[in-house]
Amino acid sequence: MELGLSSTSDKSVKKLDPRTKLCLLIAISLIMVGGKTVGVEYILRVICAAIPFVLLLTVRHIKSALIYVMLLGLSVFCEGSVIPNISGAPNLILMILCGIISRFVPGYMMGWYTVRSTSVSEFMTAMDRMHVPYFITIPFSVMFRYFPTLGEEYRSIHDAMKMREIGQSVKNPFIYIEYVLVPIMMSTVRIADELSAASLTKGLCAGGKRTHICQISIKFYDWLLMLGSLVMIVLFFVF
Amino acid sequence: MEKKFEIKDLITVGVFTALYFAVTFAVACIGFIPIFMVFMPLIGPIFTGIPLMLYFSKIKHFGMITITSVIIAILMFITGHPYPIFIFCIGAGLLTELVLKAGNYQSIKSCVIGSSTFSLWLLGMVIAFFFGFRESYLNSLVDGYGQEYVDKMSGYTPTWVFFTMIAMCIVGGLIGGLLGAKVLKKHFRKAGIV
Amino acid sequence: MIEFKNVTFAYSSTDADGRAIEQGSISGIDLTIQNGEFVVLTGGSGCGKTTITRLINGLIPHYYSGTLNGDVLIDGKSVPNTPIFETAKKVGSVFQNPRSQFFNVNTTDEIAFAAENQCIAPERILSHIAETTRNMQIEKLLDRSIFELSGGEKQIIACAGINVLSPDIVVLDEPSSNLDSSAIMKLKSILADWKSQGKTIIIAEHRLYFLRELADRMLILEGGRITKELQADEVNKLTFADTERMGIRPLSLEDISFSRESSSNHNEMLTLESFIFTYKDGKHGINIPKLELPTNSVIAIIGHNGAGKSTLARNICGLEKKCKGTLTLNGKKLKAKDRLHYCYMIMQDVNHQLFTESVRDEVMLSMTDKSMPDEQKAQKADEILTQLDLIEYADTHPMALSGGQKQRTAIASGIASSKPIIIFDEPTSGLDLAHMKQVAVEILKLRDMGKTVFIVTHDLELILSCCDHIVRLEKGEAAENYKLYKDIAARLRQFFAN
Repeated sequence: MELGLSSTSDKSVKKLDPRTKLCLLIAISLIMVGGKTVGVEYILRVICAAIPFVLLLTVRHIKSALIYVMLLGLSVFCEGSVIPNISGAPNLILMILCGIISRFVPGYMMGWYTVRSTSVSEFMTAMDRMHVPYFITIPFSVMFRYFPTLGEEYRSIHDAMKMREIGQSVKNPFIYIEYVLVPIMMSTVRIADELSAASLTKGLCAGGKRTHICQISIKFYDWLLMLGSLVMIVLFFVF
Repeated sequence: MEKKFEIKDLITVGVFTALYFAVTFAVACIGFIPIFMVFMPLIGPIFTGIPLMLYFSKIKHFGMITITSVIIAILMFITGHPYPIFIFCIGAGLLTELVLKAGNYQSIKSCVIGSSTFSLWLLGMVIAFFFGFRESYLNSLVDGYGQEYVDKMSGYTPTWVFFTMIAMCIVGGLIGGLLGAKVLKKHFRKAGIV
Repeated sequence: MIEFKNVTFAYSSTDADGRAIEQGSISGIDLTIQNGEFVVLTGGSGCGKTTITRLINGLIPHYYSGTLNGDVLIDGKSVPNTPIFETAKKVGSVFQNPRSQFFNVNTTDEIAFAAENQCIAPERILSHIAETTRNMQIEKLLDRSIFELSGGEKQIIACAGINVLSPDIVVLDEPSSNLDSSAIMKLKSILADWKSQGKTIIIAEHRLYFLRELADRMLILEGGRITKELQADEVNKLTFADTERMGIRPLSLEDISFSRESSSNHNEMLTLESFIFTYKDGKHGINIPKLELPTNSVIAIIGHNGAGKSTLARNICGLEKKCKGTLTLNGKKLKAKDRLHYCYMIMQDVNHQLFTESVRDEVMLSMTDKSMPDEQKAQKADEILTQLDLIEYADTHPMALSGGQKQRTAIASGIASSKPIIIFDEPTSGLDLAHMKQVAVEILKLRDMGKTVFIVTHDLELILSCCDHIVRLEKGEAAENYKLYKDIAARLRQFFAN
């Protein structure tokens, strides 16, 4: 789960401020799940469903955009044409499935876009600008730093298990879990220790002020989109 | 101003929240298989309870587990879960804080109970399916399918399912906590790390 | 100016985490380091050199707790009484393990990190970064994920971070441990640069040959005390016999002699054929059409960073399913899947391969013969443990052992597995002379048991102490393959000198 790392150098695409993405996320989340399928709300829903698709295209994630469109299209199609025509158990399953997809997938896709298009430093800088307290931003930073390491540790431990020919049979899942989790947990403790010592020597201070070299700023299209999200949310509550 | 949290604490929070999240994610991937999806609130906490117990053993004062719950809420929100997730995460976090505090951050029993209270955040993920989904969807169906149909649908997703899930979280969390305690004793205490 | 006035420190028996800390206490240290001096601290493991570095950068007492007596002063100010983030303004630190000293994932962010923490204006930081990039020629390393970088490149980034903040004092704790010879040369030039800028440098090290021309003073510690102090000219006069006696690694590669008897010539051969494997990124891999090596010998796999040493080791072990080649041993052609049953690897991070709650269980875990009753297994395990001097730890949890003991536990498990091929991945990183020799002894024991041992290493002394055969890799291909004996040792030394 690495956030998009190269986005700071990807100048060809107009970069959205992370705070804008947050506003859009809130709007889409609210509207897609709670909205009715008629009237003004329907239009809002269509807009919200379209936003992630467009955004994904702007960051060249064409495959994800296409999968999204297909998934959504399929479920809408089912809801409209297929479900009324069949009954019983398949009807129920399809209804639940399509209901879930059409309601939650746009939100998930917006989330996926946010994660893939924001670099860690942009994210942290945005959080600082929004005055999120240090005891939230530092653990967040550490978390993103630790995920890839966790992956490395796991792969290495998995190799060791393969080499020692243990934990191979699926007969006893708990033994497998013990073999995997215990070394990972030990390693977590160790790395937390080393990381703490290193950060302290680099001047990291709990509650201390710090500057950021990452520049993020809200441009006019950011304002536009944030305003748009606000309008949608208001309309959502009014109708 | 007295600093409430040391860097060491915050790094511990970050690292263990990452581990907890990774295990949750790994288990959730298995949960994609429809049969298992229903049992996720039970199976998930069983596995995540183990690293959670180690995390609890490192917590010596108020606030750390709440930060974890806030971070998980933010992560869930960013990946698209609707807003009720905040209420559940932070609620579960605060509840767990009280449990841990009651045990004076030393008692294993309170850690095990804490494991189950913390697992309640999972409900936040499914809550939207029940309330948000039901009301709006059913309302939208009235136009298309008629009231009778809607009543039948309503019958399929009764509130008792929700309570079953609560029970699953609690039981799963307890089992996970006990497993975690066992692992801690067998390995970490013996190696002198706890 | 740094001053230690009668400093005594002992770690509390457990650290902040409640773990037992290794030895390293110091007593009665009196030391004055002038501005601009380059001081080398050396000595065997646990002598206290790391402790001294931690007292200078403030980790003691702000992170590692214990009883501290005496004064530690930088420019007259007491370090223990100054908050550590303030000390960080004046003292930069470089650690042994590149992997866990980075707070950020992105290299540019990491370089800026220390400066950001000191609230320096972003424009200034960015201009410092630009300047540092020019001076160190690290354009290619910027704006990348730390996880893509090699060990040497990571250390360069750590040093770049220090250049951006530019503190007056730099403290280094065994920075060359995981580096190969070319990376060490780069580190040396960075150190020389800092020295010319007038920075005060304190470096705790085992490997000293790259520091000979830079050191103004060398302090040798033993048991927490400074036992010997050498000035620059005396340092250069040290002979191999002197360093050997002091228990430190040689100061010059030339001095290390090869005086062993060559092993026997009549070994069966094992053959690697069509050993081709490429990683997903398409850039790294190995390509060995045919390679013949003697069994029952100790074979060193050497090469520069990125040449494919670890890749080869992993493929021999059978860890990469996609490897198409075969290894022929005793007439049997082994594919990757089969090789898992024939090879045992001692990994660079031994912590990844210890799974049980006692050393004896760990050894027994490798005995996969289901027909043997548990008692017999325990007995056999104890025999192996006795051979490796671990019997008194038979009931101890493996994670409670020291690094060297963990390594021996892994070796014991390897012996218990009865697999004929044992592979070591950088077994002597960061080890002092005594422990390196111990590892050499254990490896020779394995050979005498009839095993074939591969060692991936860049430790010349280790190679000369126990290896019979050399395979040199270059860009994934086997560039050289020769038996090691006295006259040919020069060829080996030349590789390391470059």
